[in-house]
Amino acid sequence: MSNSVISVVSRFLDEYSSSTPRRLKVVDAYLLYILLTGGLQFLYCLLVGTFPFNSFLSGFISCVGSFILAVCLRIQINPQNKAEFLSISPERAFADFLFAHTVLHLVVINFVG
Amino acid sequence: MSVLRKAHFQYKELFLDSPPPTGLHCVVLLALALGAQALTPSHHLSPADLDRLKAFLNQPFTDLESAYYSIVGLSKLGIAVSDEHAACQFLKSQLDPSNIDSLFFASEASQALSGCQIPLSNETRDLLLAAVSEDSTMSQIHRSVSTLSSLGLPVASQEVVSALTTRITKEDNVLAIILALQTASRLSQQAELGGILEEIEDLAARLDDLGGIYLQFEEGLEATAHFVTAAYALSDHVDIEPPLKEDQVVQLVNSVFSKKSWDSLSEAFSVASAAAAFSGNRFHIPVVVTSQGPAAVSHRQPMLQLQVTDILSQPLPSISVQVESAHAVASKSVVLSQAHVLSSIFVPSGIFELNFMDSQPASGYYQFAVAVTGDSRLVANHVEMKVKVSTEVAINNMDLSVVDKDQSIGTKTTRVEYPSKAKTSFTADSHQNFAMSFQLVDVNTGVELTPHQTFVRLHNQKTGQEVVFVAEPDSKNVYKFELDTAERKSEFDSISGTYALYLIVGDATLENPILWNVADVVLKFLDEEIPSVIQPKNLYVPKPEIKHLFRDPEKKPPTVVSNTFTALVLSPLLLLFILWIKLGANISNFSFTPSCILFHLGHAAMLGLMYVYWTQLNMFQTLKYLAIIGSLTFLAGNRMLAQKAVKRYRPGC
Repeated sequence: MSNSVISVVSRFLDEYSSSTPRRLKVVDAYLLYILLTGGLQFLYCLLVGTFPFNSFLSGFISCVGSFILAVCLRIQINPQNKAEFLSISPERAFADFLFAHTVLHLVVINFVG
Repeated sequence: MSVLRKAHFQYKELFLDSPPPTGLHCVVLLALALGAQALTPSHHLSPADLDRLKAFLNQPFTDLESAYYSIVGLSKLGIAVSDEHAACQFLKSQLDPSNIDSLFFASEASQALSGCQIPLSNETRDLLLAAVSEDSTMSQIHRSVSTLSSLGLPVASQEVVSALTTRITKEDNVLAIILALQTASRLSQQAELGGILEEIEDLAARLDDLGGIYLQFEEGLEATAHFVTAAYALSDHVDIEPPLKEDQVVQLVNSVFSKKSWDSLSEAFSVASAAAAFSGNRFHIPVVVTSQGPAAVSHRQPMLQLQVTDILSQPLPSISVQVESAHAVASKSVVLSQAHVLSSIFVPSGIFELNFMDSQPASGYYQFAVAVTGDSRLVANHVEMKVKVSTEVAINNMDLSVVDKDQSIGTKTTRVEYPSKAKTSFTADSHQNFAMSFQLVDVNTGVELTPHQTFVRLHNQKTGQEVVFVAEPDSKNVYKFELDTAERKSEFDSISGTYALYLIVGDATLENPILWNVADVVLKFLDEEIPSVIQPKNLYVPKPEIKHLFRDPEKKPPTVVSNTFTALVLSPLLLLFILWIKLGANISNFSFTPSCILFHLGHAAMLGLMYVYWTQLNMFQTLKYLAIIGSLTFLAGNRMLAQKAVKRYRPGC
């Protein structure tokens, strides 16, 4: 049982490292980073308390928002989805990503107090 | 003399704890207004009122009009003027044969005198007949017709009726219509009086109701009284019952007889006429039931005496009076259930009596329903009245004792008999209670009583201070009063000394209220302190300053924990760089074109702006700077990414 799980996981990792473009791997690393940051913040909230509640919220919302934007970027620049985003070049996607980030963090900084 | 008073007024009076005021020796006839049948006359002409009315009317004559009011008014009350011959001479001497008013006053007054004839000429007769026309005023028609009728001259009744009908439509005021009714009552019964008879109903509709007790015309007492006279005169004349309800009759009685002093002869005359109409018509005779003296019975005075008369305080012939039922006001228990006929004891004044004590009522108030029967004309003949049954109280088993609080010494009780005072005085200190117990019984029946007021009064002769306690009966109706000297010391201001002990027993239904000096009691209080002089408070000192309270800051976690977590939250960034390096991400593609540099600088500037926004700027300033930096970055970014795209599509270039 555990063997099969390990084999599935290793197979998955192999597939991933071999067939995923490097550009997407960079984005995936970014996603992992954001996920961990958000998770740690949430852990702090559970263990210590929500005291500066707006700070916690803005930090956490920043993570969630960034994650979603990054996922959107990843979808748009994935060569496999090229058929669906014909009119959107990777550069355009990256520009959108940056613009959305600017707006998102304007709000987050406004909220952090 | 008895005066019926307003029902609701009396009702209140009953529940005062004090006995009814004795100054009004005639007071309490307790007619309670209940339901439809209960409206009873609250005003009538008592013998005293009647005497005053007669005296008022019996004035020396000044002119024909005053002579008319005096002579006719007195005759309505059933008496003649003292010197009829002189009165007749006065009428003849004052008569002006060319004046209708003068003729009217003289002829009407002469009718009331015996053997007085007013001389009559043909011119006078023509003058009177000519006045009966549609062109004369109602008053002229009335006076002409009345004069003709008094003098025994023929009147063309049908013509008069048509003239009256025309004048009614022309004048249409209460006084004119009342005159028309009076005129019609002097006409032949064969004439068509139906139309004028209907005016009674119309006038009754114009009466103003005051609080359901009075019914009157806004024109005043005279108009109301004349209406009564005219309505009954016409109704008697045609023998048709006037369209007045029983309540309306009683309300008319109230408004006509509520005024006890009269402003003018004509007003007194109108009241006398109305009184005569109410007591002597064929349809409605209002009954006045009053109690003879106060409506109270006791064992000494067991007879309840009622006087039943008409409005003029005259007895009513051939009537019987019965008490239909009687019940106690407080307990609602019925005492008399079947009808008890009252025996008539003195016919000339219409007094009836009943021995109510035969039914052995307990003391208190009783509601009687009295009915007067024997004549179908009687109005307001069902009367509700309240009767007081009073009794005498005796104090039995008065025991006084001083009880030790710890009960170690047996109590020694002393019995005191009313009305003597205990020979020895009692002494109670702060470890002892002074106790008192007694019973109150009805002397006549031996039943235990619980009067409204049972007080124990302690009076310090030296200081004049008095303290009053209420003695309460227990379930066996034994009154017990206990004085705890330690507990009650504040009520005595801790002043020790000799107090005179009084017992006060009182109730409205008790004939012998009691104030009894039972004994002397020496009270000793433990700490006899001089009452401290109360410091006058200084009202003008400044109040303490009100300080703003800030909210307590939230508890912060220890610095170590927050620092650890700061490091932890930042650590994934390190991971990111490691992963990126492993993946081979690099900046080799970085080109040093101006747009590229500008783009990256713009981004850095935006991040810096966010930080500054967080630390010091407000939203509007931030947006202003962001617009500048953002547009530069956008242009640069656009250019840079476009170059990259071109490079990607044409890698060779």
